[in-house]
This record gives sequence, C-alpha cells and structure tokens, in this order.
Amino acid sequence: MDYSVDELMIAAMARELSGEVMVSSVTALGALSAYLAKRTHAPELAVLSTPESGMEVTPMPTLTLGQFMTDAQRGIPLTMEDIFDAIFLDRFRIWINPAQIDRFGNVNITAIGPWASPRVAMVGSRGIPEDTSHLSAILYYVTNHSPRTVVERVDFRSGAGYGPDRERLLGQRGAPTRLVTNLGVFDFNGPDHSLAVLSLHPGVSREAVQEATGFPLSFSDDGRMDETPPPSENDLAIIRASDPLEVRKLEFLGGREAAERLVQIYERERQAMRAALWQNRGRLR
Amino acid sequence: MNKLLRHTEVVEAIPAGSTIAIGGSSLSRKPMSLVRALAARGAGDFRLIVDVGGPEVDLLLGTRKVSRVVYAFVGFEIMGLAPNFRRAREQQTTEFEEWTEFTVMAGLDATVKNVPFLPTHAGLGTDVLTVNPSFRLFQDPIEGETLVAVPALKPDFALIHVNLADPFGNGVILGDGHVDVLCAKAARHTILSAERIVSPEELQRYGRDVQIHRIHVDAVVEAAWGAHFTGCAPYYRADLAHVQAYLAAARTPETWDAYCARYVTDVPADYIQAVGGPEELVGRLEV
Repeated sequence: MDYSVDELMIAAMARELSGEVMVSSVTALGALSAYLAKRTHAPELAVLSTPESGMEVTPMPTLTLGQFMTDAQRGIPLTMEDIFDAIFLDRFRIWINPAQIDRFGNVNITAIGPWASPRVAMVGSRGIPEDTSHLSAILYYVTNHSPRTVVERVDFRSGAGYGPDRERLLGQRGAPTRLVTNLGVFDFNGPDHSLAVLSLHPGVSREAVQEATGFPLSFSDDGRMDETPPPSENDLAIIRASDPLEVRKLEFLGGREAAERLVQIYERERQAMRAALWQNRGRLR
Repeated sequence: MNKLLRHTEVVEAIPAGSTIAIGGSSLSRKPMSLVRALAARGAGDFRLIVDVGGPEVDLLLGTRKVSRVVYAFVGFEIMGLAPNFRRAREQQTTEFEEWTEFTVMAGLDATVKNVPFLPTHAGLGTDVLTVNPSFRLFQDPIEGETLVAVPALKPDFALIHVNLADPFGNGVILGDGHVDVLCAKAARHTILSAERIVSPEELQRYGRDVQIHRIHVDAVVEAAWGAHFTGCAPYYRADLAHVQAYLAAARTPETWDAYCARYVTDVPADYIQAVGGPEELVGRLEV
C-alpha cells in the first residue's frame, strides 16, 4: 500500500507511546500519533484533544490551536494545574517539534542567533523546560531534517539535552530519548549520549542522512542499519479517517503556504462539525 | 457592588507604566476588546506578563504601548511568528524576559500565597536560566537538592475575558481555563470582559464553571465577541482569516497603520461592524 512520509512518521511516533499516561496534542503529528497508538497497541493512553484539555475524545488535528468547540469534543476537562502535575509526576508524554535539535539532544524554539539580539526571534520556551527536567521519556520530531535543523549546537537551549548542566543538576530526569525525522529514527546512545541512528526510513541511505546532519552521526557497528517499519494498512486507515482534511501535511510546508491551507481546512472542518452536530441533535429528538 | 463599567472607563483607570497580566492562551480567549481599548489610548509603557501569549502582546507592541514583556511564549501557532514581537525582539526596542509556562504560573501563585518565591526543577539545564536574571538557584534546606527559586510576579492589573459574568464580577469560563484564575487572584486589580452579563441567579446555575470569583474582581465590561479575533469556546472559533489579514498588515508600516486605523482606533462597537458584523461572524465562526 502506498503511504507518505507523514504517515510513516506518525506510525513510528505511535510506537513510542504506551502506558497509562496523558498524551498532549500540541501538533497534528503529535495528536495523530497518540490517537493511532491508542487505537492499536496502547488503549490505556489518556489522549488529550487540545494542548491542555479534552481527555478521552477523538482528537481533531486543528484543535491543536487550543480549544474544544462542541460538547461532542469536550471530553474530560482539565486545568493547567492538572497538566503540570502530570508532568511533575512523570505521567505525561508529548511529541515536541523543535526548530533546532543538537548532537546531545538540546532543543531550541526560542531564537536563532544570540538571545538578546536574535537574527530570528521565534516563540519562547513555552513548557519544554518543564518536560526536560521531569519526564522519563522525551520525544522529539523534525519534519525537515537538514544541517539547519539537526545541528552541532543549538543557538539557545529551550530544552535540556545531555551535557555538564544535566550531569550536575538533573541526571537522567527529563533526558532526551527519541528523535523521529523525515529520514529516520534516532536515540541518544552514541558516544557521550550523542545522537545515533536506530533505523532509516525506506529508501534513505546512510550517506543521505549524514549529509543532512550538521555533525558526524553514530551508526551501529555491524554496518547493517535497520529499516523503519512502514505503517500497516490498519495504521493508514486510522490516520486517514481521523485526519481526512490532511492537516498533517501542513507541517511539511513553508510558513505562509501552511497558513493559507490551514485557513481553508479550518472552514471545511467547521462545516463538517456543524453538519455532524445537527445530525446528532436530530437523533436525540 | 455593581462593577459594570464601559471599556473607556476601565482603560482610563490603568496608569501608564502599570504591570498587566493578560489571560487566555495563544489564539484562545484573549481579552482582545480590552486590549484594543488599551492600544487605542495615549500613554502606555505597560509591563506585560503573559504565559502563552499571542495577538494581545503583538498588538500592544505594534502600537508602542509596551516597555517590558515577561513571557513563556508569544506566537500565532501554525499561522506564523508574531510579527511585532519578532521585530521588537530583533531590534531590541523593548525589554524582554523569557520565563516558562509553569514558572509564570508559579510566579503568580507565589503572589497569591504571599511568599517571595516558589521552588521548582523546571528550567534546570536550559538557557532560560542563563538569560533570565530573575531566577535564582538555591540549595533546598530539606534534601539538599539544587532548585530554581521562581520569584513572585506581582501584576497591578489582570485582564481576563470570560463567557458570562454577573455585575458583581463572578465569571463563568466554559472552555479551557488557561491561567486566568491565577491572574485574577494575583493581580491587585482584575478587570473582566464578558460575552454576556447575566444575573447572579442565572450565573449560579453554572456551578464549577464559575471559575472567577468576585472577591478578586474590580470591574466588569460587557463585550460580545470580546475575544475576537481569538476564539471563545464553545461560542466561536478563532478567526483565522482575520489572523491572516493581521499578519499581512504587519509586514509594512503603511499597511500596519491602515490596519490600526480600521480595527484599533475605533472601539468597541464599531470593531464588530468592521470585521463583518455579528451576523457574518456567526456564519463564519460558530459551530
């Protein structure tokens, strides 16, 4: 069966999720991987439909804009205190897509260039520092693996990877555990906890991934790299049914094009929700 | 006890240089009608405190009303970076202090609990601690760990938009609560805007959804569509078409001035007409 890289990544990301933990949906890929995991191997996951609420309902990828819209999507309401309590208790997982990730798993969403005089001011660390000081699994993904995104050293550490500060202040708590990119799946078990290839996606060569990476990558010693398993037919059916308007593809587009497409999808989604709502009301009567 | 006021009365009572905490989160339930009223007045020099900020910070920066921003995030999510925030950061025209989502909550909570700081592990190992001089590392006296002391954040004012309020300042929030209750409790003066003002008897039917309590509230304004162009669940969604227009307008000084003349200087009734009128908004943004 044909699949695209977004679907391959979602399936690979879903495999990393299990256990009775909250999974936040801050991005479309994050929401869809959580939902896929819940529908396949990990029914115990408590998947949220927004970054902060709506537990136990089907996530809608555009709800990552941060609010539920109808009673049908409301699920179990939570508070910000509930979210951070779950983080501090290590009962929380989230897929984070940083602008930069480095050799030792430090990540940046704050600024390109120096913080005080940035070449590009991005958004600010948000809740990443909380995650990287508490969780036992820290999950990152990057949709455009290149020497500009997978770098030797991040310009600003919004999230703590490995290094002297971690050794001194945190230990293993909140250490990076996985990176899924459009080229492969990685962990941080290389020399000194550096990035190492776990598997490459079908058709991706060692040379290609090395060329796309801003520092020398570690490969396993036996010279035979695993290939990332493709999504199953069941995986694809679930992903496509829960994201029929293909919000997941927007994360692979440039900024302005993604925004334009989202505006169209957002309106189509509203009309679909409205139709479903009226259908439900009819049934209740 | 009746705290109902008009937008202009409320914003005139906020002195230049005040520290203002703003509720909501990114494109959700920002008190935009109050923010526009602030942006439209003369003096500013406001010191903003936001957890997850978006259009409200960007608009106040773009209208030169801000001298300092404490923030964990300012952006427009997948729609793009916040253009005036980005300019102000890159050209260093405003003072900024980067915090994190929980530490902003902890800073407000320290004020609520009347303690000078609250401890956390959050931020250890990150450059937030390098660039933010407000945080201090300390040795915890119980177990000897190294922790971050998050100093109390002390807003003079909080601006919060709610679904429903009574004239006494009790407020109902039906969607995600964000950090609004903390803002309301921590600020010396809290101003609510509400989609609709209802009687105390009607409000009490909402039980636990009455999240804002009048002992923390100083003024209430009625503001239908008061969160526009952010969303106010479950009444209406964020107006992404307007977000696009905003982002496009912010690209040049000329188009930005035109945007402000059209949408910011005339508040608040004219604004709803300017963005299409109530009927069109219902058609576009309600589910």
